[in-house]
Amino acid sequence: MTFWKTSRLLTIAAVGALALTGCGSDDNTSTAAPGGAAASSSTAAADCGTGTLNGEGSSAQKNAMDQVSQTGYLAQCPDATINYNATGSGAGRKQFTGGQVDWAGSDSALKPEEATAAATRCMGNPAWNLPMVAGPIAIAYKLDGVTDLTLNAEVAAKIFQGQITTWNDPAIAALNSGVTLPATPISVFFRTGTSGTTENFTKYLHATAPDAWTADGSGDWAGKGEGREGSAGVAQAVAGASGGITYVEWSFAQDNKLNVAKVDNGAGAVELTGESAGKTIATATQVGTGNDLALKIDYTTKEAGAYPIVLVTYEIVCSKGLDADKTKLLKSFLTYFSDPATQTGLQDIGYAPLPAEVSTKVKTAIAAIS
Amino acid sequence: MSALDTGHQTGPLQRASSLAPSQGLAGRAARNTVATVVVVLAFVIAVIPLVWIILTVLQKGAALLPDASWWLNSQRGITPRIAGGGAYHAIIGTILQALATAVIAVPIGIFAAILLVEYSAGRLARVVSFTVDILSGLPSIVAALFIYAFWITTLGFSRSGFAVSLALVLLMIPVVVRSTEEMLKLVPNELREASFALGVPKWKTIVRIVLPTAFSGIVTGVLLGLARIMGETAPLLILVGYSQSINTNLFSGNMAALPLMINNDRQQALEPAVERVWAAALTLVLLVLVLNIAGRLIARFSSVKK
Repeated sequence: MTFWKTSRLLTIAAVGALALTGCGSDDNTSTAAPGGAAASSSTAAADCGTGTLNGEGSSAQKNAMDQVSQTGYLAQCPDATINYNATGSGAGRKQFTGGQVDWAGSDSALKPEEATAAATRCMGNPAWNLPMVAGPIAIAYKLDGVTDLTLNAEVAAKIFQGQITTWNDPAIAALNSGVTLPATPISVFFRTGTSGTTENFTKYLHATAPDAWTADGSGDWAGKGEGREGSAGVAQAVAGASGGITYVEWSFAQDNKLNVAKVDNGAGAVELTGESAGKTIATATQVGTGNDLALKIDYTTKEAGAYPIVLVTYEIVCSKGLDADKTKLLKSFLTYFSDPATQTGLQDIGYAPLPAEVSTKVKTAIAAIS
Repeated sequence: MSALDTGHQTGPLQRASSLAPSQGLAGRAARNTVATVVVVLAFVIAVIPLVWIILTVLQKGAALLPDASWWLNSQRGITPRIAGGGAYHAIIGTILQALATAVIAVPIGIFAAILLVEYSAGRLARVVSFTVDILSGLPSIVAALFIYAFWITTLGFSRSGFAVSLALVLLMIPVVVRSTEEMLKLVPNELREASFALGVPKWKTIVRIVLPTAFSGIVTGVLLGLARIMGETAPLLILVGYSQSINTNLFSGNMAALPLMINNDRQQALEPAVERVWAAALTLVLLVLVLNIAGRLIARFSSVKK
């Protein structure tokens, strides 16, 4: 009877599918060599936690998170699993206060109205903002024949507002003596939606050139140009258009092999390097109290050699209140993440290491999590 | 061939009309040609994107698939900068979520269809039929948001693969009900009457006569329903987090699935990640294809015996 034949077949198929659950492997150590070697060999994770830790949030720190967790920490702690979903800072904070994830990655610290919800989620204990990844924002461009370009806040503001429309504009030429600028029109690309990168970049423009960029810093773009989705979107748009310019995390500018403009902070042109961005981050002042290390960045810094457009992304964690296994894993992972050796390794993929004094404070705060 | 057809059909018209036969014939032939061209063009236009998609996915995604590690390894320890790893974690996630969905949706769907066909009298059947119609037009994002509001916000559960299955159940039930209903209607009434005549009670007739007769058709409907839900993305984005490691626990933690894996890597500009996006897309297409073929094969080799 076909009935029994078919049902037997189906049973075999279902059992077969279930049996498949046993034969996969999480072990990719043979393939995971080149990019990860630097991060994994430089530091030893203190003592490994076990279990699974889920985080969600900022896409600006995703590349760093992938590098540190997947190729660094997990290689040393095979019994741990770390998941990070880059859905955006706002989504990450919401999932964290909703108790759906163990920690949130965010480009901005918890807002006061979110702090209460976060405290409820942490069983009545405050949540802390721990600066963990510093990402310089690059002004990335593509212009045939020009690989060395200097801009300052005022000129950048005018470009991104559509007041300067060609590359050989006298205002750009004045900052770039000796560079032959073509008459190519400038195409500006910006991030659509609410973006932490847009917020930090426009805060910089407004703080440094308030006359040229009159709008307050905001996550929604107030300038001109064409919108693209996500950091990868704007970077790819510039890569495909001669005369294109955008603001994007350094990491993505490197991935797409874009030219990065030097920025004149008032004390001369500064090239974007891990070190020059670190100098600006070192000027940041703490606005949180105690172990809550929310920072305020001084975009108007005139220190020689300080690259002023930076973004600090935080890990938002419970000071207390996770269960014991997760707490141990979280502390072990964050300690590894904040370690100077790990941080230095991040320079290769376009991030800036945390300055020593910040990283010491972060270490103290992590130790105080219980 | 088409000219011949027109020639035949002009017969009665010639008798009825007073027009010159040659003019009428030529006009009809021209109209016929135009209509044929339009119909063929429409068909070609409809097929172009389909073929294009399949060719593109095959061309860009085929590179990684012959590798055994693609089918047996996860993405643990792999970043967009590193080539290697596999899609095992996502394949197993997709299959497990689909199985869990089927376990819930298939009995509900079949029982609802039995109610509609075998006990069709009454207001309840009309209500069920109406509800199924509405459900079948339900956008997947609405199903996902409903489960989020109900399962996670109200009942306080965490996001998990099972929450995804619950949303998929809402999408699969109408497919199962409708296909089962059609199959039950195909069962000849004589079989039921013969069974009743032998003194077999109604429930036993349904269980022993009607269902086995329609069985292969029902299985086909279930497999097609599964194929439909496997590619759903909205419930995954809302109801579960992505994980690069293997998680076979439906009830807790982040769990990968093929659409999620595609979505996770699609934002990357780096070559290894882009290759994995296409390979995962091809894997998903293959998985759905296998289910579709299995459904058709079962339908062909064990169709309703009359």
